[in-house]
Amino acid sequence: MNLVEIENLNLFYQSVKSETQALMDVNLSIQPFEFVSIVGPSGCGKTTILSLIAGLISPTTGVVKVKDETPNPKKDICGYMFQRDNLLPWRNIEKNIYFGLEIKHKKSNENKEYARELAIKYGLGEFLKKHPHELSGGMRQRVSLIRTLALKPELLLLDEPFSALDYQTRLTLCDDILHIIKSEKKTAILVTHDIQEAISMSDRIIVLSARPGTVKAVHKLNFDKALTPFERRNTTKAKKLFDVIWQEIQNEKAKI
Amino acid sequence: MKKQKFSVAHARFVKKYRLQKAITLTTQILILVAFILAWELLTKHEIISSFFFSSPSKIANTIKELYNSGELFYNSIITLRETLIGFAIATGIGFLVAFVLWYNNFLRRVAEPYIVVLNSLPKIALGPIIIIWFGAGSKAIIFMCILIVIIVTILNILNSFISCDKQLIAVAKSLGANKLQTFFKLVLPSSVKDIVATLKINVGLSWIGSIMGEYMTSKAGLGYLLKYGGQVMNLNLVMTSTVLLCIMASLMYLLVALFEKLMNKIYK
Repeated sequence: MNLVEIENLNLFYQSVKSETQALMDVNLSIQPFEFVSIVGPSGCGKTTILSLIAGLISPTTGVVKVKDETPNPKKDICGYMFQRDNLLPWRNIEKNIYFGLEIKHKKSNENKEYARELAIKYGLGEFLKKHPHELSGGMRQRVSLIRTLALKPELLLLDEPFSALDYQTRLTLCDDILHIIKSEKKTAILVTHDIQEAISMSDRIIVLSARPGTVKAVHKLNFDKALTPFERRNTTKAKKLFDVIWQEIQNEKAKI
Repeated sequence: MKKQKFSVAHARFVKKYRLQKAITLTTQILILVAFILAWELLTKHEIISSFFFSSPSKIANTIKELYNSGELFYNSIITLRETLIGFAIATGIGFLVAFVLWYNNFLRRVAEPYIVVLNSLPKIALGPIIIIWFGAGSKAIIFMCILIVIIVTILNILNSFISCDKQLIAVAKSLGANKLQTFFKLVLPSSVKDIVATLKINVGLSWIGSIMGEYMTSKAGLGYLLKYGGQVMNLNLVMTSTVLLCIMASLMYLLVALFEKLMNKIYK
């Protein structure tokens, strides 16, 4: 069974003076435990797809189903991770990772323990009592992921989570986060501008066309499972694929 | 935490920092002392008229007289009471209204032009109406004080609520948070600084309100003493009341500043 099912999806953004079609006839499905990236030119509706899957907005026409149901942020299926870490500056790290639990009224000792264990397991143990401003950008983004994972979502929606970081941090965090996602056995959809990043992490890459976005190409990747994202980047296969996707997006940009 | 060992340069830096602080404080005190001394000497030798400018020693005498007759505390407390009640009610209700307007977008859109008009209206113009409604006395004065403070409170606090980081709100939404949760977990904590800043403004405004109210209608209070002193050309009384007002307003401001420090510790 597919975890996410999108059929004949159209989405229009409305304003008094205009109407913009963001997505056109999008069809895609995502299987459990898959890591799928969505790439495409700016403004092609990548983030819009995530918002639809999270249930933050509803399609104008067409169907979006997550686990055969209409998505709703009140359910605990999706965990959304943003470009910015969005930690609450007045809370320490430990209280930040409990934030989702509080909102969902799930702040039981058991769940708190689970969140804290995750944090410790992934190298945040010594920072629990610190405040966000005392941590580096990469560490903060990691806290943000743990906060999302604390709710045990099946599907992670990653909205350019690395793009606000410097290059060095970005590469190491890619490795770390993919490791976390794979070892916690999560399904993930990553929206990114960075083709290399998509290649280094994904099982499948979806290329969207220029606005209105529609699925332009799908690439299935079969790298050696043992390779880390960093190692993948250096393979010739990755470089070839980069050229292909680059050209696809370039062609789309030319249309604008 | 481990104690850090400091270098000689650090000691020099700290010394310089402390010296600068000490110099600033000394200068501030010197200016005050010089001002009072000059005032006293100039009026003593009648270089400037002690009738029109009063003098520090005359003010001290007036305070003593007022104290002996029991009028000092009587009048101060009346004004202080009006100010504090006005301050508390206006801040409290202002906060609640701001919350309701934040919570309900429809109400906010509807209320906007009314608030703008009320904000630009000089509240003293409502003086006659207030006296007719509340009678001449404390109630009218407190109401005037509330009117002056409340609109600014609503505007400032509402503004702060609305300007809460949109991205944080997006996180709450993605977690399925309802509006009350968003308010108490995100909007309110991120508005603490602005709310405290509003309190500081309100200290000044509520004194304006109560004194203006007392000008309008009163039989006692510092505003009454000011008005009365002015009418009978008793500049000693006028200056004395001004000094007393200065002291009380500063004390109230200091209290709010202390509260701010406490809040900054919690919500850094």
